[in-house]
Amino acid sequence: MNFLAASIESLGAKVVGWFTVGYGMFAFLGRAGLLLLDRTTWNRPTFDVVVKQVYFTAVQILHVFMGYTLVISWLIITIILSTARDFGLTEFASEMTIRVLVLELLPFLTALFIALRSGSAINTEVALMKVNNELDALAHCKVPPMQFEFLPRLIGGGVSVITLAGLAGLLALLMGYLSIYGVSAAGFEPYTRTIAKIFDFTIMAGLIAKCALFGLAVTLIPVTAGLETPKKLFMVPVSVLRGMMRVFFAIVAIEVVSLALKYI
Amino acid sequence: MAELAALPDDVARVSHELPLRANLSALDNIALIPIYQRHFGVDESNRQALHLLEQLGHAGIAALRDPDMTPAQRFITKLARAIILRRSRLIIDRPGAMLYDVPYPAFIRELAARAEMAGTWEIFDFSWNQALYQE
Repeated sequence: MNFLAASIESLGAKVVGWFTVGYGMFAFLGRAGLLLLDRTTWNRPTFDVVVKQVYFTAVQILHVFMGYTLVISWLIITIILSTARDFGLTEFASEMTIRVLVLELLPFLTALFIALRSGSAINTEVALMKVNNELDALAHCKVPPMQFEFLPRLIGGGVSVITLAGLAGLLALLMGYLSIYGVSAAGFEPYTRTIAKIFDFTIMAGLIAKCALFGLAVTLIPVTAGLETPKKLFMVPVSVLRGMMRVFFAIVAIEVVSLALKYI
Repeated sequence: MAELAALPDDVARVSHELPLRANLSALDNIALIPIYQRHFGVDESNRQALHLLEQLGHAGIAALRDPDMTPAQRFITKLARAIILRRSRLIIDRPGAMLYDVPYPAFIRELAARAEMAGTWEIFDFSWNQALYQE
């Protein structure tokens, strides 16, 4: 009986904990959204931090990211093409390539890439700011941390994931064309027709929305996880661990919901 | 220390509990205040911050970040940040916790003389350090 009560109590505490974390995140997002509309937010230092964030998140790693996209795209395209040939479905190869790579796999991998590289860094930095009282110091000086530290990171994350996923998609489209038709203009017309057929308004809007949500997940969750850190240095790794687990679950949830909306 | 916790908002504090933003230079840490509080442009805020560091005799630390500063340089940056807040009171909270590389009552006196600031700087310190101030 005691065991049952303890289990219910523990489950209840967990559920309450999840709701508290979820509420905290959405409340933070609401405050950030309101600030975004405030004209005074857009001063030069805030804009500079946004530019710095985009540089560190997207530009600095561009060559590594494009190399990684090239290898992944080439592998997946080769697998799809050889499987399509084996089953005599070559005419569907280009559509299959675009759907699998450009719409699903590359945005997902981009989000994971940014989460591992920048999300973990953001989580650690915010946790250290909290532990070292840097946020208290900013508050004492009446410099709003949301405007100066957090909002630029959210915007930078969104912009970075959307642009990197877009670039990866374009590279995959080019690779797909070269793998299917080779260096010849003969396939240009059917290939572009397939692209136009797939990328209607709904799919494009859905893709952009999905990438923006990925961008939010890889920045908003680490920031809020960092802010939850108790003021103890040894809690920083725990905060990063929790934050990154949440990011992973959020990315998977966004992908699953997007797939369900598209194909079910 | 209970007195410190009860200090009102119009007090500018220099304290080891209020660190500098670690990834910003000394100049940026100071210049943030005119930008966000008085809505000055970045160039004008940087000019004001540099002028203040010059007044304190340490313009050379403008480009340094917190981890690259000596305790005394860090203290000067925090002091400049507190001065630029332009609050009615400036309190230096337990200077011994920040200035462990210089004889601190003399160092603060020297800075106060250089800065030629209006108003007085109040120092909150442990009672057993009182003898240091009587030298």
